[in-house]
Amino acid sequence: MDLLLNEQQRMLQSTIQDLLRRDFTKETLVAIDAGDVDGSHGWPALASTGLLGSLVPEEHGGAGGSFSDAGVVFEELGRGPVPGPHFSSGVFATLALRECGNDEQQAAHLPRIVTGDEVFAVAVTEPEYGWERGDVQLVAERTSGGYTLSGVKLHVPDAVHATHLLVAARTAGENVGLFIVSADAPGVACRTLRGLSTGLGEVRLDGVTVGDEALLGGGPDAWDAFERAMLQATAVLSAYQVGGLESVFQMCLEYSRTRRQFQQPIGRFQRVQDHIIDIVNHLDAARWTTYEVLWKLDTGRPAESGVHMAAALASEGYYLACNAAHDVHAGVGIVREYGLTLHTRMSRTLYHHLGSPRYHRRRVADALGLQPGLS
Amino acid sequence: MDFELEWTPEQDAFRKEVRAWIEQNVPDIPDHPDPADLTREEYELQREFGRRLGVKGWLYPTMPAEYGGGGLSMELAMALEEELDRYNMPLPPYYDTGGKLGGVAILVWGTEEQKAHFLPMILRGEIRTWQLLTEPESGSDLASVRTTAIRDGDEYVVNGTKIFVGSSHGAEYSWMIAVTDPDAPRHENLGWLMMPMDLPGITVEQMDLLFVGGERGAASGIKNTVYFDNVRVPAFNLVGGEGNGWKVAGTHLEIEHGLLRSAVRDDPLTERVFDYARSAKRGGRPLLEDQDVRDRLVDFYIDAEVTRLLHFRNYAWRGQGRQLTYEGAQAYLYQKRGQLSKARAVLDVMGPQALVEAPDEWAVAGGHVEVHQRGAIVDQHPGGTAEIQRVIIARRLGIGREVREEPGRLR
Repeated sequence: MDLLLNEQQRMLQSTIQDLLRRDFTKETLVAIDAGDVDGSHGWPALASTGLLGSLVPEEHGGAGGSFSDAGVVFEELGRGPVPGPHFSSGVFATLALRECGNDEQQAAHLPRIVTGDEVFAVAVTEPEYGWERGDVQLVAERTSGGYTLSGVKLHVPDAVHATHLLVAARTAGENVGLFIVSADAPGVACRTLRGLSTGLGEVRLDGVTVGDEALLGGGPDAWDAFERAMLQATAVLSAYQVGGLESVFQMCLEYSRTRRQFQQPIGRFQRVQDHIIDIVNHLDAARWTTYEVLWKLDTGRPAESGVHMAAALASEGYYLACNAAHDVHAGVGIVREYGLTLHTRMSRTLYHHLGSPRYHRRRVADALGLQPGLS
Repeated sequence: MDFELEWTPEQDAFRKEVRAWIEQNVPDIPDHPDPADLTREEYELQREFGRRLGVKGWLYPTMPAEYGGGGLSMELAMALEEELDRYNMPLPPYYDTGGKLGGVAILVWGTEEQKAHFLPMILRGEIRTWQLLTEPESGSDLASVRTTAIRDGDEYVVNGTKIFVGSSHGAEYSWMIAVTDPDAPRHENLGWLMMPMDLPGITVEQMDLLFVGGERGAASGIKNTVYFDNVRVPAFNLVGGEGNGWKVAGTHLEIEHGLLRSAVRDDPLTERVFDYARSAKRGGRPLLEDQDVRDRLVDFYIDAEVTRLLHFRNYAWRGQGRQLTYEGAQAYLYQKRGQLSKARAVLDVMGPQALVEAPDEWAVAGGHVEVHQRGAIVDQHPGGTAEIQRVIIARRLGIGREVREEPGRLR
């Protein structure tokens, strides 16, 4: 019951902090955000440290780490916030391969995810947006020896940086399979959506043909296994948002001391203090629910309600903390080079990723048995 | 990062010993949703149980054994509390502010003679103590108290009025802050006194309040006004030296601001409300078919979970001797606000039935729900309002200031 990082995790944390100080300074992150530096900047450096293999089993070249270890890595990345496909590839796709892929598929792709030679994006959502089985409408038509995929995937993170896509598609009836699709296969077109979101894109599949070996696990339905992967990935995503919250909190604390109005630091005003207290409360609520559920996942305890609770608190907390931070900073907060808007955009971008806060809260209710007819 | 203790064989052996002892000694007392319904006879049984715990050093298990505590680790104390919790018995099993608040102040600030004199009787449960801080004109601004304790020979002469004091069945001692030097600057003008409650000139009068909590553990209790009229108390009873009363108070205020709650107890009301919602109907349809009802229930469940985790963090870190700063006030703020939002959610879901008191046939969950509706309001104020918790958090984080406020001394 120590509630502290262990020795190995502290080393992991310090490794990644060094990397971020070197390759992802605030200036660099702002330049990426402005489009002056390519979004794939720093990706090789990140991969070279092996940090992307945190969740990949040792037999496939990864660290074979725990969910808590991955939480340490992604909390640090979230502080930036460091954009890019590290989550999509190193967590989401990795876990999907672990839960749904057969031995050959894991052996073929996991080692290359660790080295960064392959970058995966996970394409689940569509114009009728949602994260449940029924929300997957794109059809994979059976052909001899394979499938043909046609349709649109929308709000897919990091698709333009991906070498491979993991595409959810209906195989037959209600069955949903996951297909490994090479990003440069004929008929695949990816573009990033412009706007307040960051890194979300459209993936168009126009008669894309894949062989049987592209279907994860080989069976007609992978959705139940994929839901396990989503649950695990969600907990790590919460850790990333905790990192973002921590940064927003520190920015506000610093600004409350240095910014003077009415001949005193603005942090002397209780109205300003209240905003920052709200932020630290969002931070700690997200932090401790996330840490606890990572521990539950690592120790094989029931984690469903905990994952959804942490996700709800992390997503809405990050969103609301950015709002409060803009109240504290006023005009300065929207100047791009100051850096707060990196978080504001990220908080909006992640708000719905793997489910919205309201969705997660309702899943908590389900997990608690608060459903009619269950008593 | 472990969120649960792994019990060693030694700890398991201790738990078995405790379990057997409790089975032999615990009094059988029916559940009273409103602790004020505890009878005098039942109270005396709990009081006696406390004395027996005190003999074992289990009344205040983590306090030093040399002064009558148990000298136990946080882990063993948790095992003890868990075993008592099986009988719905808190620690201490009656209202006493001695071993967790005032006694800690004596441990930190008292002379060896004072510690040897006061601590054993507190920690063994021989006496109960009340805390006397708030006054009619001093609430949130506690340092502005007006009660005086003026030195006269070997005694202090105490005059003034304290409010929101204590519980239903009295106390042998109180501890208090009072002005020892009316001419000294704020924060340097106070003394901290152990006050025997049988001295001439002390009058106790019960207040008429919305919530009478009674004598269950640290529940708010019946509250009293205490008047001091030329009460002469030995100078030996002033702890920490004249003019240092505010610093001494910093110790128990630090604990009261969010470090009191044990790691063991979950809020039993949540399950009671869930049970109601699972069986109740509205317009002939199951209540849980209403998505709004489900949303309201899960929202307060999540609030309660966050409160539990923040207290758990504080308990674990304090047990390791880590210096906490803003965390106590943060957990306390969450707890206070969570109770209020839960009360509203419950009122929304249950309707006016939530307001019916036991033993009326229409009371929900044996009256626990109505007691919570009252308690949620009353719990906003003890130990500092929610706003005061915010002030503490801001100062401890250093919002708008380079130098952060130091926490009160706990050792």
